[in-house]
Amino acid sequence: MKDRLESMQRSAHAALAQADSEAALQEVRIRFLGRKGEMTAIMKEMGALSPEERPLVGALANRIKDDLESALEERLASLREEEISRRLTLERIDVTLPGRRPFSGSKHPITLVTEEISEIFASLGFGIQEGPEVEKDLYNFEALNMPKDHPARDMQDTFYISDEVVLRTHTSPVQIRTMLQHAPPVRVIAPGTVYRRDSDITHSPMFHQIEGFLVDRKVTFGDLKGILTAFINQYFGRGTGVRFRPSFFPFTEPSAEVDIQCVICGGKGCRVCKNSGWLEILGSGMIDPEVFKAVNYDPAVYSGFAFGMGLERIAMLRYGVSDLRLFFENDLRFLKQFS
Amino acid sequence: MIVTYNWLKEFVDFDLSPEDLAHRLTMVGLEVDSMEKIGEGFDSVVVARLVAVEPHPEADRLTVCKVDNGAETVQVVCGATNHRAGDLVALAQVGSVLPGDFKIKKSKIRGRESMGMLCSEKELGLAEESAGIMILPPQLTVGVPVFEALGLKDVRFELGLTPNRADCLSVVGVAREVGAMVGRPVRLPPHAVTEEGEAAEALTSVTIEEPELCPRYAARLIRGVRIGPSPDWLVRRLESVGMRSISNVVDVTNLVLMELGHPLHAFDFSLLREGRIVVRRASEGEVFTTLDSQQRPLKSGDLIIADGEGAVALAGIMGGENSEIGAETVDILLESAYFHPPAIRRTSKRLGIHTESSHRFERGADVNMVPVALDRAASLIVELAGGRVAKGRIDAYPRPLPDRRLTLSASRNEEILGLSVEQTEIIRLLRSIGLEAVPAETRPDIVQVTVPSWRQDLEREIDLIEEIARLNGYDCIPVTMPVSRTICHRSPDHQRFSSRVRDFMASSGFSEVINYSFVSSGAWDRIGLSPQDSRRRTVRVLNPLTEEQSVMRTTLVASLLENVARNLAYRSRDLRLFELRPVFSPEDGEELPREKQRLTAVMCGRREPEGWTQAKEAVDFFDIKGVLESLFENLRITRVKWETSQIEPFLHPGKSSRLLRGDVVLGSVGEVHPKVLERFDIDQPLYLLDLDLEAAFASGADASTFRALSRFPDVYRDSAFLLDDEVPAEQVFAAIEKARGKEVEDVVLFDFYKGAGIPEGKKSLAVRVRYRSSERTLTDEEINRLHGRIVQALIREAGAQIR
Repeated sequence: MKDRLESMQRSAHAALAQADSEAALQEVRIRFLGRKGEMTAIMKEMGALSPEERPLVGALANRIKDDLESALEERLASLREEEISRRLTLERIDVTLPGRRPFSGSKHPITLVTEEISEIFASLGFGIQEGPEVEKDLYNFEALNMPKDHPARDMQDTFYISDEVVLRTHTSPVQIRTMLQHAPPVRVIAPGTVYRRDSDITHSPMFHQIEGFLVDRKVTFGDLKGILTAFINQYFGRGTGVRFRPSFFPFTEPSAEVDIQCVICGGKGCRVCKNSGWLEILGSGMIDPEVFKAVNYDPAVYSGFAFGMGLERIAMLRYGVSDLRLFFENDLRFLKQFS
Repeated sequence: MIVTYNWLKEFVDFDLSPEDLAHRLTMVGLEVDSMEKIGEGFDSVVVARLVAVEPHPEADRLTVCKVDNGAETVQVVCGATNHRAGDLVALAQVGSVLPGDFKIKKSKIRGRESMGMLCSEKELGLAEESAGIMILPPQLTVGVPVFEALGLKDVRFELGLTPNRADCLSVVGVAREVGAMVGRPVRLPPHAVTEEGEAAEALTSVTIEEPELCPRYAARLIRGVRIGPSPDWLVRRLESVGMRSISNVVDVTNLVLMELGHPLHAFDFSLLREGRIVVRRASEGEVFTTLDSQQRPLKSGDLIIADGEGAVALAGIMGGENSEIGAETVDILLESAYFHPPAIRRTSKRLGIHTESSHRFERGADVNMVPVALDRAASLIVELAGGRVAKGRIDAYPRPLPDRRLTLSASRNEEILGLSVEQTEIIRLLRSIGLEAVPAETRPDIVQVTVPSWRQDLEREIDLIEEIARLNGYDCIPVTMPVSRTICHRSPDHQRFSSRVRDFMASSGFSEVINYSFVSSGAWDRIGLSPQDSRRRTVRVLNPLTEEQSVMRTTLVASLLENVARNLAYRSRDLRLFELRPVFSPEDGEELPREKQRLTAVMCGRREPEGWTQAKEAVDFFDIKGVLESLFENLRITRVKWETSQIEPFLHPGKSSRLLRGDVVLGSVGEVHPKVLERFDIDQPLYLLDLDLEAAFASGADASTFRALSRFPDVYRDSAFLLDDEVPAEQVFAAIEKARGKEVEDVVLFDFYKGAGIPEGKKSLAVRVRYRSSERTLTDEEINRLHGRIVQALIREAGAQIR
């Protein structure tokens, strides 16, 4: 009986080795370990054994049964493994085919520049204010120390709606509106659309500016330099050369133009910077006492600075755009390049 | 304003290179826009001596010359006839490049070798016309570059002056700044006049009727001049600053204008009726013909220079034809005056005349320069045109303008600049530009300043502080950060709302455009607005550049349609564009129009980008509607009604909707009207949405509201049913809405069908309703009951036939 058990074990192993699918394995299980299988058949003859032999053969039979069952499991696992590997070798896609993409949109480069600059000033504690594009002469000029017949009005060719109403020529009237509404301290930027009666390859009758100003006690020209230098370092990169030079705006005194080292040639001189190595990007200055008087701030107590920059110019430098007109032609091939 | 390096050196000594000078000028606020070297590149044109001149054996009109160029004697063939042996000439040697990119090469002319060219003034760009070659003055040194030998090498600086610096509208004015830089004094040009004969006062008179507008008027009488061409040096000097020579007398006035910044005018004295000058206001309606032959209608506010009878000049702006200097002029009355700046500006602006003279007077000339400029010009006229200056300078100056006195406190200076400057240093800096500055006797902190007449822009303490900053150099001011009180300045809600809309549109595949805010008034016809449409009431620009930019937009639609047309023309076919900008509408009784933000978006072309795995269909109404629905969801705008009445005139009446929330019109969405498309040359269906962002902003909820999540399983039931074609889907949803219990989680329309298999006049819809309770697992029975209620409602409210 012991021999029969062992020979059954051998033939079961042989059958296992030949089984090449889960179904075949199932057959092997039934044939050897099933209720009507060979194992059961042999065990039925246990009764014929002597009491001494019986436990020995029983133990052997259990060992063989365990052995076969684990061999079956093993074989099953390896069959499954083979099956997966076979599938994985068959299942192939060309990953270099283009993916399924939705249409991608874009914000206008002027919007992008506005957002980025606003974000830098927001981190410096500046809030955002706005004002109307169709503006009173009073706020656009007079309160900014530019009475009628003042030569400084020649600096900005103006579109008129009536004698007293203009398309704002700069974002500076937002200074007036803000200061009329809020007592100091104020620390504000005002991005917006502005208009000047000028149209050629380097001038657009409509363009965009960001105005900024800060008023409090004891604000100095040094602070103006500090804030603008911080901005330039953030926006154009640390170590960008900056210079402040005297200029004139009716609403600031002292006034300064701010130049940065040319971002195209690094200051060596090129076409963009007209070989000077410098690019003019900002107008700025200490707010003129006349402006404070117009908004009922006491110039003996408060001081402050203001600055403004043209966003098209910044965007042209930022993205290397060579033609101003592209910003308003709205060609999708242009718009899609900015994100 | 143009100045040259050599000209500046006549008034002040300095050792700066042209490059350094340009940099320093820029850094004191006189921005150098450009710098141009005159005579540079012509160094191989040298002074040479004609050793021998012989006729060309093969050509009658040519000569063969032996020329000593300082190093050797070379042979040059020349076509001129005005040269003889011993003359000094300008030799352009082989390799020179003359103006007009004319290269000088070694050549053979009729068989004779020629090693260069003898130049005329014209060929060197020194004159417009010239007869023969240039014969140089005999004292020049052979071999030296001609431009250098003649002192013509110069550097031209073009300054972009700010309007406050009227004092720098002259060479002397710029020289003052240079003097301040290098610490040297400025010299005025010689202006001593030799007077002869009768006293001017006996021959003419000046009457100022308007001393407010003309505080000072000086004149001199010069008799017996000969009008003729100017000498070369004067012609060249004027050319170097971009002015053309006219005649000796006019050129002198222009030279003094550039030199001293003071405009002068020369009258033909014989043409002044009654031989006298009256400064007065014009009579209303008087017509006056200026030098440029233009008839100018005058107003009573205009200041004129008149003779005994009528106007002879527009004061400070332009002379008149009736008293103009001409070739026959013998006697001259030379005017040097000072006018009140706003008076000049008003008239020149109104008449649209801008001259070198008006430019200076309206910015403020120097009242004390009046006699100096007059005498400088008189002495030069006598030198160049002959004549005699009558005795005595007429100088009507009834009420001398007072000197302006200011005080400056060193501590205020420090407060503004953030830089401490000692009182003594302040005094030194202010004196360097010609201000009188002395310490106040009682207050060590204060400086008392007297402003010179040429610096009218210095009116207040703050102006002096700017001078301190400027003269010290802005670079010297330390870079500091403000110590300011903290304030919360979050951007306003509606601004953040606009940013959100922009972000949403961009992430939904739309590209943002920016169009001009002004359009053509014809835009409204193109988009089919009715004559009564309120959007035809517009804000107009009084002085537009073109008609196309004359009206402020009341809608963004026309601009977007133009953008579509343009992009289609450039073969971009799949378009998704949006614009988020204000529109402008006049408001009764308000000075300013109302500016409201609008969002307009358009889409056309494919639903998905072209690709091997992408859908091929074109977009339709439901694509743009979907965008809008998602936008509303994003903005938390609920309960929007889709109205089909009063459709916008630019939209297809059957494929469009008006959006309402309560009574508020949020905007419109739909297919663009085919007629409108035709007018814009758009050849494919286009879908558009147009929203009033202010209304949308007012409609959105502030924040999302959280609902608890159910832990229990969901169950859904589908129902398909037939409806009459006219019944809108909205009615189905309304019926479900009415009947739904709190266990209904959501309802989806998952099928819509019309056509084969469905009876004529009917459509088939299928909805899936998802049920879930927040308290327990719903039983089959409960769900059947809930769903039965919905089905009954569909039958009752919408006439549905369940399939």
